[in-house]
Amino acid sequence: MSSILEVSQLKVAFGGVQALDLESFSIQKNELRVIIGPNGAGKSTFMDILCGKTQADSGEALFRGESILGLKEVDIAEMGIGRKFQKPSVFTSLTVYDNMLLACRMPKGIWHSLFFKINSEIEDKIHEVAKKVGLESEMTHLAGSLSHGQKQWLEIAIVVLQDAKLMLIDEPAAGMSDKETYRTGELILNLMQHHSIIVIEHDMHFVEQIAVDKVSVLVRGKLLTEGSFNDVRNDKGVIESYLGTGAALQLTE
Amino acid sequence: MQIKAVFKNYEYLLFLGVFLILLPIGYALDLVSVNTVSLWGRYFCFAIAAISVDILWGYTGVLCMCQAFFFCLGGYGIAMHMLLADKGTGVYGAVIPDFMVWNQVDTLPLFWEPFYSFPLALLTTLLVPLIFAMLFGYFIFRSRLKGVYFAIITQALALAMWLLFLRNETLLGGTNGLTDFKTLLGFDLTTSTTKLSLYLLSCMVLVLVYWGTKKLVNSKFGKVLVAIRDSESRVRYATYRVQNYKLAVFVLAAVIAAIGGMLYVPQTGIITPGRMEVKSSIEMIVWVALGGRGNLKGAVLGTLFVNFLYSIFTSLLPGSWLYVLGILFVVTVLYLDHGLIGLPAQIKSIISNKRTSKL
Amino acid sequence: MLAQPDEMTSQLISKDQALRTQALEKLVREKKIEHFPLISAINQKRLYLYDQQLVTIGEPIAADRSDEYQVLKVYPDTKILRNNQGGVMAKKRAELTEVRFSRPARLILLPVLPYVNLVSPKLETRKLAFVQFQQNGNPEDLKILSDARDLENDNYMSRLATETILSIQLKSSKITEKVHSLVDQLVSNQGDNTAYILEQYLEQIPKSHPSYSYILTQKEDLEDRASRIALIQNAFSGVSLGSILIMIALGLSIIYGLAGVINMAHGEFMMIGAYTTFCVQEIFNSISPNSSGNLSFFLSLPLAFVVAGAFGLLIERLVLRKLYNRPLESLLATWGISLILIQLARSIFGDLTSVSTPFVLSGGWEVIPQLVLPYNRLFIIVMTIVLVALVYFFLYKSNNGLRIRAVTQNRDMSACLGISTAKIDAMTFFIGSGIAGMAGCCITLIGNVVPDMGQTYVVDSFLVVVSGGVGNLFGSVIAGLGIGQLTKALEPIFHAVYGKVIILIVIMIFLQFKPKGLFPAKGRISED
Repeated sequence: MSSILEVSQLKVAFGGVQALDLESFSIQKNELRVIIGPNGAGKSTFMDILCGKTQADSGEALFRGESILGLKEVDIAEMGIGRKFQKPSVFTSLTVYDNMLLACRMPKGIWHSLFFKINSEIEDKIHEVAKKVGLESEMTHLAGSLSHGQKQWLEIAIVVLQDAKLMLIDEPAAGMSDKETYRTGELILNLMQHHSIIVIEHDMHFVEQIAVDKVSVLVRGKLLTEGSFNDVRNDKGVIESYLGTGAALQLTE
Repeated sequence: MQIKAVFKNYEYLLFLGVFLILLPIGYALDLVSVNTVSLWGRYFCFAIAAISVDILWGYTGVLCMCQAFFFCLGGYGIAMHMLLADKGTGVYGAVIPDFMVWNQVDTLPLFWEPFYSFPLALLTTLLVPLIFAMLFGYFIFRSRLKGVYFAIITQALALAMWLLFLRNETLLGGTNGLTDFKTLLGFDLTTSTTKLSLYLLSCMVLVLVYWGTKKLVNSKFGKVLVAIRDSESRVRYATYRVQNYKLAVFVLAAVIAAIGGMLYVPQTGIITPGRMEVKSSIEMIVWVALGGRGNLKGAVLGTLFVNFLYSIFTSLLPGSWLYVLGILFVVTVLYLDHGLIGLPAQIKSIISNKRTSKL
Repeated sequence: MLAQPDEMTSQLISKDQALRTQALEKLVREKKIEHFPLISAINQKRLYLYDQQLVTIGEPIAADRSDEYQVLKVYPDTKILRNNQGGVMAKKRAELTEVRFSRPARLILLPVLPYVNLVSPKLETRKLAFVQFQQNGNPEDLKILSDARDLENDNYMSRLATETILSIQLKSSKITEKVHSLVDQLVSNQGDNTAYILEQYLEQIPKSHPSYSYILTQKEDLEDRASRIALIQNAFSGVSLGSILIMIALGLSIIYGLAGVINMAHGEFMMIGAYTTFCVQEIFNSISPNSSGNLSFFLSLPLAFVVAGAFGLLIERLVLRKLYNRPLESLLATWGISLILIQLARSIFGDLTSVSTPFVLSGGWEVIPQLVLPYNRLFIIVMTIVLVALVYFFLYKSNNGLRIRAVTQNRDMSACLGISTAKIDAMTFFIGSGIAGMAGCCITLIGNVVPDMGQTYVVDSFLVVVSGGVGNLFGSVIAGLGIGQLTKALEPIFHAVYGKVIILIVIMIFLQFKPKGLFPAKGRISED
């Protein structure tokens, strides 16, 4: 199977600090990749570059064979990369239903929006996704009145509805209860049947739940190692970077 | 739901009943002077401008501090037409407006030419703000200027345009502006009938603009606007080209404001650069803020309320108006998040909060 | 004890018309420069008798005592009369005996009238008189002109006098060598009008004249020099305008960075500073009317800081603290406050007041002839440099500055680390508004004090903040200087208004490439 995303020599610096220096990174179609790493490792920056929010200093990133560096957010989104932010970003003064409606894949020009009429196909799709993320009963509520976890799900729903081929999901379980976290994991595992997904996560229980494919570890902007969850968990370098050298020694003894 | 719908209709009926039936009847019975009628006619023009502010700021979150300038573009356009249509009736009996005679201009400047015929003048008056807003907006939104940056740039624009219109060389009457209109489409502007007709026209245009913008904000387009207000970047990631939407609503707002100006000038009989000062634009924003931003009813209500207050204070306590206006600004921003229109709900929630905290 | 009047005085004040005419004719005949003040006083009907001396009245003694004048003795010598305490004597017109002359009598003086202004106490009048002689002077005037030059101790004026004398000599001289040397002298004298004088002379002489090409090159050199000087002068005005913008932008920028509020009333803090200066001056004037204004102005600098700062603090406590990080709402609320403050100032002070420039700051620094940098503008520039330096050291080298920067970057985290954010906010508002107050104090040096003076500068200052990058000290300085320079550079070409429009367009184009200003805050946090 060909890879859907191919990244090489990707570099970006903020005020002299090398935030990201990624030699090579790629993921396959319908793969679920989890990226872990300590704070400031460049995980979110990596996603920012992939969705066009931040411009890279140099390097190459190919999405389905096409370069995405230098493109605007809209163009990248149109190509099929969807992003869920760390801090939930939904339209707080619109209803859940409207949030989803706006996200649905359809022509998004001004004229189309002006004369848009709802049809049953779109209606069905919205309800299907709403059911998936468990927001069916909240459709008429304002998105601003949702709980933190529900907002996260809504944002995932938005990304799903815009029919993203590659979903970039930044810390979906942050601020969630254990139960909610587990449900989110189920949701992501379910999504991977139709989408390629990159997830950034800190919560190791959650990572264990969703890490059915490879896990990548980013440290100080560089890719430290890649492998299955168990390989990574027992990797000395990974423990060192998380807990410091002494702790690593202690643990291995 | 049904009771709510009736209630909604009831509000509209109240508005139409008072302004389209009661006020004209009052005038016919000599209970209301023609000046009062004309005054409300002018307030309707302001309300049209306020709607334009509301779709920009209230719905899209774009705080534009030059709406008064677009309002004046409309006003100047119709004023130019009226001056040319009255040619030869000035003090000097010249073909060109009097102020040009004072400034030793003897031939009509080329850019005045389109304003001879009414249809052409109407078209030009709508096209000028449209094109201006399109050019200005294109560059501003392209560079993703927003929020405070956008407000400051438009404020600077308003200032620059004001200074420009103050000059005599721009051939738009300088500080004194354009005035001394006699007729519009052959109707004598001084007669009560014309005044009443202009009042009714303003009222109807207001209703029309309200209805049109209401349709607009309820469409998916309107939802995209609100989405832009809430989270511009999320809209972008949902593959909407935000700058096109912003540009469209900016241009539309400019044209709506210009329509307000066009109706305003025949009723006041004068348009000066003073109307396009930065503070006029900001006042429009306060009308909307006080009425309730993001709510078209609120924009209209706020405009009528503030201007009504203005007429009361200037006649009862001259000199106090700026204090009142200043305090209105502060109080609205600090305490009235949803404006007057949201006040009942706000009070209700305060009371219920108190109750729950007592329990 | 009455002094005995001298002969001339007694003739002039005698009742005998013939005697008086005779005296006037004598004055005209002698055409002595010492007599010019007397002749001028007679001609202007301002001759009085006081204590048996011929006197005239000078400037009003003080602005608020406009009916009392200085008394100047005009004959036989000129001096300002002093009272017993040694101060300047003040008299009302009614306390002096006017010495009247009929119109025919005054007409006798006609032939000498063109000369009398050469010794007028007013510099502007003397300047005009000399320039007139450059136009219509004859060789017979040279004696008086050179006498008049000897009386000048002002550098500029003696250059003008020399220029006048040389120009008359040049016009009447025919010998080539003489012409050469006169032209050289004129050029090295560095008077203001030399290029014009040479140009006129060139029109008189034929192109075949042996000195023609020499004079032409000299003239063109002078014109080049003049345009270079104009350029420098303009650049200087640009820097001084930029300085004012920087002073206002400093506070705006710090406050926006810290609290995320746009303070539209910031210009009004400047106005408050200006009115503070005005009040201090008024108080000083009422205590000692003859003070030169030095002390009052320099005292009002820190006072303006404190008063404007206090207002800023008050507004922060009452209104703005509820609007942190809501820039658009704060913009509207502060606009309302600015309306109130302007109206308040208008009802207290009326529409137009002005502060007189302190004595030490009047005049200018003559770098080279024709290039004069006014002290008041120099002072503003120096003041700005000092303020920027102080703010820089405060923000980047002091503990409180560190706290301010910490709160600017992350309010919640700073609060967690034990920084009292309320205190920091108060301090920042005080300082930011205080700087605007000082700017207001400085602006009184170059303009009137009016209630809406803040509005004139605040929009431009906002543009400075925007194009410099919000919250960036260095950016504000660069942008302030840039906008100031651009304004002044465009002024000679276009009218100021069109200059403003062009600047707006330039800034818009600039923001196409740098939407976050010159020095945007970098990194992940900066994006919202």
